Amino acid sequence: MKISFLLHNAYGIGGTITTTFNLAQALAERHEVEIVSALRHREHPNFTLDPRVALTPLVDLRHEKEHPLHLRPARVFPAAEYRHRQYSELTDQRIGEALATTDADVVIGTRPGLNVHLALQAPDHVVRIGQEHLTLDNHSPRLRTALRRAYRRLDALTTVTEADAASYRRKMRLPGVRVEALPNSVPDPALPPADGTAKIVVAAGRLVPVKRYDLLIEAFAPVAAAHPDWQLRIYGKGEEQDRLRQLIQRLGLCDNAFLMGAASPMEAEWVKGSIGATAANFEPFGMTIVEAMRCGLPVVSTDCPYGPGEIIKDGIDGRLVPVGDREAMSAALLELVRDDERRRRMGRTALENARRFGPVPVVEQAERLIEEVTAGRSAARERGSIQHALVSQGFAARDAAYVAASGALRVVRRGRR
Amino acid sequence: MNTNSGTAHAGGPRVDCTADTDGRIAFALEAPSIDARLLLRLRPKKGQPEKVLHTLDLELAEDGRHRAVLEPLPLPLLAEGRWDMYLVPEPGAPRQRLRPGLRDLRTLVSGHRHDRPSPVAVRIPYVTKDGHLAVRAWLRTAHAEVEGIDVTDRTMTVRARLHGATLAEGAAVRLRLRGGGGVVRRLEPLVTGDDGRGFSFTVEYGELAAEDAGNRVWDLSVQAGSGEGAAPIRIGRLLDDIADRKEIFVFPEAVVGNAVVRPYYTVDNDLSVLADRT
Repeated sequence: MKISFLLHNAYGIGGTITTTFNLAQALAERHEVEIVSALRHREHPNFTLDPRVALTPLVDLRHEKEHPLHLRPARVFPAAEYRHRQYSELTDQRIGEALATTDADVVIGTRPGLNVHLALQAPDHVVRIGQEHLTLDNHSPRLRTALRRAYRRLDALTTVTEADAASYRRKMRLPGVRVEALPNSVPDPALPPADGTAKIVVAAGRLVPVKRYDLLIEAFAPVAAAHPDWQLRIYGKGEEQDRLRQLIQRLGLCDNAFLMGAASPMEAEWVKGSIGATAANFEPFGMTIVEAMRCGLPVVSTDCPYGPGEIIKDGIDGRLVPVGDREAMSAALLELVRDDERRRRMGRTALENARRFGPVPVVEQAERLIEEVTAGRSAARERGSIQHALVSQGFAARDAAYVAASGALRVVRRGRR
Repeated sequence: MNTNSGTAHAGGPRVDCTADTDGRIAFALEAPSIDARLLLRLRPKKGQPEKVLHTLDLELAEDGRHRAVLEPLPLPLLAEGRWDMYLVPEPGAPRQRLRPGLRDLRTLVSGHRHDRPSPVAVRIPYVTKDGHLAVRAWLRTAHAEVEGIDVTDRTMTVRARLHGATLAEGAAVRLRLRGGGGVVRRLEPLVTGDDGRGFSFTVEYGELAAEDAGNRVWDLSVQAGSGEGAAPIRIGRLLDDIADRKEIFVFPEAVVGNAVVRPYYTVDNDLSVLADRT
């Protein structure tokens, strides 16, 4: 079977890129696999890609940034999509051509706008699987309305959590579309796991407000005060860098809390720690939580929508604390810093429990999904219940009303200028 | 960006490395043959020819890959500086820059916790700005490791520990003005602990700013004993896994008079104080 992934930009850094590479590489054991990258801005991907996986870029920004078609807004890629401004008539055209001429049996889209391309432009014989790495509730009503129309033409839609899959089933009317949670996978670590003796708390991710590194640093202050030999290391880059540095200085944590910059691969950095941490307000999946656990670290995380609660068993292989609660985060960290035996035990359990996110179980599930969807394609189109239709139509109407109302508001605002 | 062309993978072969608790660094890679060698080259100053090379033989490892070991005390000891790493695929063949794989440096993290004898030799494998593997080496008769710096709005207090030397009567902390023709300020360290290694000192920022406009950089060292013969031991932070500390350990600025003053780690991880009068 030939499987093709349609990815925004394989040359960047991010959770979707990592997980797509992981899945593509694992599938390449038994299938012909390619990744089609809508955009390219550098010579080589940041993450090494298994040579068995072919990589095909469509628009090369190093030469085609000023292409006349690239200066015109995209029309197939939906305007309400987060990355619409990076797309253009040129991407519309290239993605359309790539789909029309694909020799793949299955094409897998990896973000809403690309799923729309896939739904609308893939030839009939191609099995179409859309992947959502974000969450439905986080999409704007305008985007949800666009997706509601297009996603009906998909064969299957995967989310990264059960909670989000439930949300799609409840709020979108997608008759005949199989909606299923397919977690991100994390490769089997090559290094021996952490042994729980290091006095380092490790966090990793882009330095953006939603990740709440400010809260994490504040929560770490009492830990450093009581245990000055402990460090907090935060890996990543982003807009919050300067603000976080000032916070570290203001709290007097210059010798305890560090902005380490980006590290790739993170594996060698996780194993230097003995606790992982995230204070995010929102985490569609929680890739870094799984990475840390796979390296033998118990993770202290906020119980934010949706990922952490489906990854961590509170008190067993990590800790879940309420969103935005500095004291609770601090107490959970202190508890693990103080109790060496509990920390090590939870780390060993984390290592064991996170195996379900290894490439083998995840790729088995993906393969099963692909096979079942391929086999049952025509039959699946006839499913769907009246009850489900009524409920989801309610959500559709609400989104549509919101879109119409906000459209009207914009007209009003424009009129006032 | 400097990428090596002509190799199968972007930018050259990848090598994993592992540091053990004894200071040994093992490199593992897939080499074309057992006759291949790893080459370390001390990066020369700009415009200078390269002079110092160190080669490591490969052996076949259990996992079928090739392995080379940089022993804790390779003779001669690796000189202080940045050592770029290359693969020489076979004798006489052109060398290729190596790219970093996994760098398992967990044993280095707590490297400050055990006392080092003289000479103090430190090696940290790191990734260069252009994405290649190199080894950062320090080689000093003795070293004063910073354990913590507390800054206020007019002072900084440094806690440090000597390695390869002990404090004697008449020991002094020296602040030497860089490019200042021998201008030196001296402070008496406070000895902490009872093994003659721990000490602390407080620097008043007011004494460091220039009379006129301009930057002043003060380099910090300690003379472990009294007398003219006591060589200054540079104060810095070398004994962990961080090869480039400057952008990671960043201390707050204080405004003293017309000067902005802050301690910082140099590109060599040594401690200096910048007094910037505008």
